[in-house]
Amino acid sequence: MTSALRSLVALGALIQVLGCSAGPAVLTFSGSSVGREGDVITRQLERFARVHPEITVELRPTPDAADQRHQLFVQWLNARAPDPDVLQLDVVWTPEFAAARWIADLNRFHPPTDSFFATAIAANRWSGALYSLPWFIDVGMLYRRTDLVPRAPEDLQTLVRLAKDAQREHGVPFGFVWQGARYEGLVTVFLEHLGAFGGAILDDAGRVVVDSAAAERALGFMRDTIYADAIVPPAVLTWQEEQTRLAFESGQAVFMRNWPYAYTLLDDTSQSRVTGRFAVTSMPPAQGGKATAALGGSALAINAFSEQPDAAYALIDYLLRPEQMLERARIAGQYPTRPALYESAALADALTIPVDQALEVIQRATPRPITPVYSQLSDILQISIHRVLTRQQEPGPALREAAAAMRALLARAGLAARTS
Amino acid sequence: MKESREERLGWALAFPALGIVALIAVFPMLWTLWESLHLDDLRMPWLGRPFVGWGNYVEVTSDARFWNALGRTTLFAVVTVALELGAGLVLALLLDRIVRARGIVRTIVILPWAIPTVVAALVWRFIFESPGGLATAALAEVGVAAPTWFADELAAWVPLVLADVWKTTPFVALLLLAGLQNIDRSLYEAADVDGAGPWQQFINITLPLLKPAVLVAALFRALDAFRVFDVVFVMTGGGPGTATETVAMYTFSTLLQHLRFGYGSALSVIAFVLAFALALFGLRVFGAGALRSRDA
Repeated sequence: MTSALRSLVALGALIQVLGCSAGPAVLTFSGSSVGREGDVITRQLERFARVHPEITVELRPTPDAADQRHQLFVQWLNARAPDPDVLQLDVVWTPEFAAARWIADLNRFHPPTDSFFATAIAANRWSGALYSLPWFIDVGMLYRRTDLVPRAPEDLQTLVRLAKDAQREHGVPFGFVWQGARYEGLVTVFLEHLGAFGGAILDDAGRVVVDSAAAERALGFMRDTIYADAIVPPAVLTWQEEQTRLAFESGQAVFMRNWPYAYTLLDDTSQSRVTGRFAVTSMPPAQGGKATAALGGSALAINAFSEQPDAAYALIDYLLRPEQMLERARIAGQYPTRPALYESAALADALTIPVDQALEVIQRATPRPITPVYSQLSDILQISIHRVLTRQQEPGPALREAAAAMRALLARAGLAARTS
Repeated sequence: MKESREERLGWALAFPALGIVALIAVFPMLWTLWESLHLDDLRMPWLGRPFVGWGNYVEVTSDARFWNALGRTTLFAVVTVALELGAGLVLALLLDRIVRARGIVRTIVILPWAIPTVVAALVWRFIFESPGGLATAALAEVGVAAPTWFADELAAWVPLVLADVWKTTPFVALLLLAGLQNIDRSLYEAADVDGAGPWQQFINITLPLLKPAVLVAALFRALDAFRVFDVVFVMTGGGPGTATETVAMYTFSTLLQHLRFGYGSALSVIAFVLAFALALFGLRVFGAGALRSRDA
């Protein structure tokens, strides 16, 4: 061995030693880190580090837009990157990441699944194992102007009638507004109408059933509220959450379908003209179905390539503790996933929304299809629904076309046989 | 002997540049072609990355969404290029006649072209937003009920075409203006002497001699319009449904939103081949046109 080579080896060894003695490994967390959510997570990570001095935690900021974060996570995990160790996943991503073996099976940590809402837990399972834990939940809600409509409509037909009456008698321009642009939000609105009429996107066995008669009625109803009943303005077909919120906030709409985040903003007298004149319920049912609220929210998972899964689980366990959830509810307005908290006075203090109203909607929460190819299924549905709502296609043919494309996709993904 | 040494030196000097071109242009293209022969779906990693030969291309043949996008893109290219050539010609003739404040007028005319497409598209989207957009309000003023532009499969094209024409007509006008100024003035003087009116002069002198410039402008614009992406992405996102989805939009969403790298690569290769064929065809027509005008 030449001396040059020998010193090179020695140098390598030295670097290795230095690397090891550089202190405890860094645990990275990746998720929403802007605005109020950023404040909460920064505080909680600092507190966690104080309790666990042997672990150094680092926050890795990611884009706030769900699509962009998803794309980034897919790129990192596809390259088997060992960090970030803990990932904040949108509720519909867990099956995809689990099927790809990108996130770790959490069963070996024996998480207390009974302490969480059962529907939220169900959305975190894939083929029998638990891959993530619900961090906070979002649910689709029906906001209504209590000065125009004192009592919540008991079904969708009543909603149409009440909206029409209020439009006529009080000169309110829009009866009902929801998110109708071609994006994920449209699928959640559709899911709520679908549930109201007793339909589903996939059945319990994972088969596509979105071409059912109930689905056809639900989609036909949505279209008719725009063109026949004229309670929903055609402009919603380009609207997302914020446009609907602004319309409702400025007093232009009788009913609005939106997520809980709008409640705090509508309650703010400095910008809202409807403060104290609105309430929330779940979207009402129609004939043949039940009141349905689309389930959203975030879950926490461990990167399957993480070199410190135990420390990662310790962090998840910490972030999911009741006191952390209460703090998150107070600062970011995000709903806890532990039903027990809804009986506590602390949560009533933390949230602007009355807890019983929130709980009433949460109990109707219905997850979107739990499948690894959810995003692709959603894309197919978005296009077909949007075509019907813009009168390019009739509900029946559009849904049959979508169902065929979804079945082909499941077959291509190798999921059709497994789930039958 | 000396020459070959010089030749060798030349190659050696050009090598770094050629290497860079190969690295940033040829290599990615070949890689895309290779990728297009695989099933590579980042969202279904459990399927692996098997070699599927022409499988992706076979799938394209029965992909209605692609063929619809291709048809729409072609129609969009034909309509916008025709409008831009017409408007560009009028603009060029006017600019050619203007004597006073020539520099300022030309700068103003070229302005839309200098604005980044995304910014221009955003402005046009605001104009056509419903309700409350400027276009909707203006139509209401004259008693016409405007459609909900971006929720109507036909009406959605109006803002798209308008934005594209508004944005690129100055470019066409500039090319045609250069062509106009190359025409020998003495031809018009001779025509005046022969008693030909302005219309006759336009038909018999201006148009034939402007043909090469028109062909160049048409070729450039057709290639651009065929690959149109930013205007559509910003204004309609391809909607309503997929009513305004172009080939570039579909390729983008397949590749970067659905992360279907294999299939998306096949779509990219097809779009590249089509654009390349269009360019070759244009060059042939353009070459012949240039030849004929030299004979004249």
